[in-house]
Amino acid sequence: MRRAAWFAMILVPLAALYVSLLVGRFYVPAGTVARILASPFLPISPNWSASMETIVLQIRLPRAVMAMFVGAGLSISGAAYQGMFRNPLVSPDILGVTAASGFGAALALLCSGGAVGVELTAFLFGILGVGLTYLLARTYRSTPVLMLVLSGVVVAAFFSALLSGTKYVADPDSKLPAITYWLLGSLNGTSAQSLGMALPPIVLGAVGLMMVRWRLNVLSMGDEEAGSLGIRTDRLKAVIIASTTLITAAAVSVCGIVGWVGLVIPHLTRMWVGPDHRALLPAACSIGATYLLLIDDVARTASASEIPLGILTAVVGAPFFAYLLRKTQGAWQ
Amino acid sequence: MRIAAPWLAAAAALLASSVAQPSAAQGTRQVTDAAGRVVTLPLHVNRIADPWHANNAMVLMLGGADKIVATTAQAQRQPWLRRLYPRIDQVPAAFNAAGEPNIETLIGARPDVILMAYDGTLPKWSAAVEAYHVPIVLMPNSSLEGLETTARITGQVLGEREAKVAEDYVRYLDGNIRRVRSVTGRLPANERPTVLHTASAGVLTVDGRDSVIDDWITIAGGRNAADVVGLGRPVSLEQIAAWDPDVIIIGTAPNQQSRQAILDDPRWREIKAVKTGKVFVNPTGAYLWDRHSAEAALQVLWAAKLLHPELFPDLDIKRETLDFYAKYFHHALTDDEYASIIDATAPR
Repeated sequence: MRRAAWFAMILVPLAALYVSLLVGRFYVPAGTVARILASPFLPISPNWSASMETIVLQIRLPRAVMAMFVGAGLSISGAAYQGMFRNPLVSPDILGVTAASGFGAALALLCSGGAVGVELTAFLFGILGVGLTYLLARTYRSTPVLMLVLSGVVVAAFFSALLSGTKYVADPDSKLPAITYWLLGSLNGTSAQSLGMALPPIVLGAVGLMMVRWRLNVLSMGDEEAGSLGIRTDRLKAVIIASTTLITAAAVSVCGIVGWVGLVIPHLTRMWVGPDHRALLPAACSIGATYLLLIDDVARTASASEIPLGILTAVVGAPFFAYLLRKTQGAWQ
Repeated sequence: MRIAAPWLAAAAALLASSVAQPSAAQGTRQVTDAAGRVVTLPLHVNRIADPWHANNAMVLMLGGADKIVATTAQAQRQPWLRRLYPRIDQVPAAFNAAGEPNIETLIGARPDVILMAYDGTLPKWSAAVEAYHVPIVLMPNSSLEGLETTARITGQVLGEREAKVAEDYVRYLDGNIRRVRSVTGRLPANERPTVLHTASAGVLTVDGRDSVIDDWITIAGGRNAADVVGLGRPVSLEQIAAWDPDVIIIGTAPNQQSRQAILDDPRWREIKAVKTGKVFVNPTGAYLWDRHSAEAALQVLWAAKLLHPELFPDLDIKRETLDFYAKYFHHALTDDEYASIIDATAPR
């Protein structure tokens, strides 16, 4: 990739971040936003209200940063899985992570767990779900792609059923709406604390995927081909699955179920930089971060009540995916 | 199939008639329900099914709880309803938390009538029940005015004695509303504090306009801060900061835990209600006071005293509450019990 493209990949998300901090339901003048952001570093005497400072630093900033990391995480995970499974229809939840996380969150909400309890339970159940899928798919010291996919279907179905059971017994006046809205996806609950909990696994997973991005190219030619080229496909798959699971479990645990990002963004990125994972993964991060950030801006500003993220990502993502399909005629490589 | 169909129909008819027979012999009477339907009931209603969580407490208040033969899983989870009427645990929960019945449990309970909340449409299971000649009586569920109609209809369905209690209750509710309105009615908008009523805090949802909650906020001399329509709408924290409510009332369990979470959270710190310490939990008794419940009569007084203590110097919420539970639920509250209702904690 040309150097200009690499610069764009870094500058565009940062510009989007700045613009996002300017918009919201609470009016804060643009100049004030800039001064509030600079105040921790520069000697600026505050001429703004404490409310404005809370809005910008405690509400908008953590939420925008979270949107970027979740968007980037889901996109890089989707790109890695599409390469590993050699299938363009794969999204990060194929091994059952979202269903299991969703159940964990619903269970915590049912037991009146606080925000931290819900996030932690969702995260742990996500890891547990994929762990089960992986164990189920292990045969003769290998993990064939077909077994992984089928095991993922089984585990997702099982946890979906448990999730429905949780909703069935939930208090319809308070718990049921809470669970329903949680599942529709939202970054509304983001605080500095949840940021601290979610970023480490997302960053760790993303670094893991970046480290194996060249080997992903080889793996996407097929298990046998990769093996004959000296790649230990089994170990490589384990690394990819572990990294992706860390990312998606953390993402789902903070913002609920946000579909389509991990499916559409890798496609879009592939049209731009081609199928080489060395460029594809970082570019997917950049585009995914910008995309979810802008979508979340709409979710929190378009109306007085919060619009669930999952609705927006699907409403925007599905038609866009249809457009990509028509344009590329299904030739994805 | 061609041969079996008439036999099945005959068997169904026989079954239906055998279930409906006993009460039909004793004469009938008619009640007009919220949808304007004239419903024919047996002269003496002795067995009722109540799929509406809040209305179970209403039936208890009117003196007809021993007639409940089918209730809901959700009503059985109300700690104060169980304390006031322990038999509720033994009544089959024919309806789940969403208000959907197990038809066989419901029919097996042999109800004379089903009392139901009406939001404009009948649930799809109603046809199956009406095929067994169990009448359904519909009641309004979205305003304080509707609550009066609900009390009246419930009383009429239960019988003469209960209808008298219902009339008495409606006078009491109406009296409370008048009493509060006579003071708060004159208040201009700038003397009405804005009130945010939350439905759940885990995922932030608030109660908006066109609801029973908006009704009592207005009567009590406040303004609903939430500029959205309906109950339990999700809103962002930034939107709440923009509304900047003077008072926050936490609506549903776990109220105390949610209140503490708000007070401890730095993101809420600059909101006026938090800064001035005006974050309260809503009392919860046989049902949630803030909803379409019998205790809404007390909610009006409680909210008025909360928002305008200086305008209601003679209003003693504890006295009113003790009198109410003594008169309508025949239960003398101890100090501890009173505190548990006001603080929305389970009775010890």
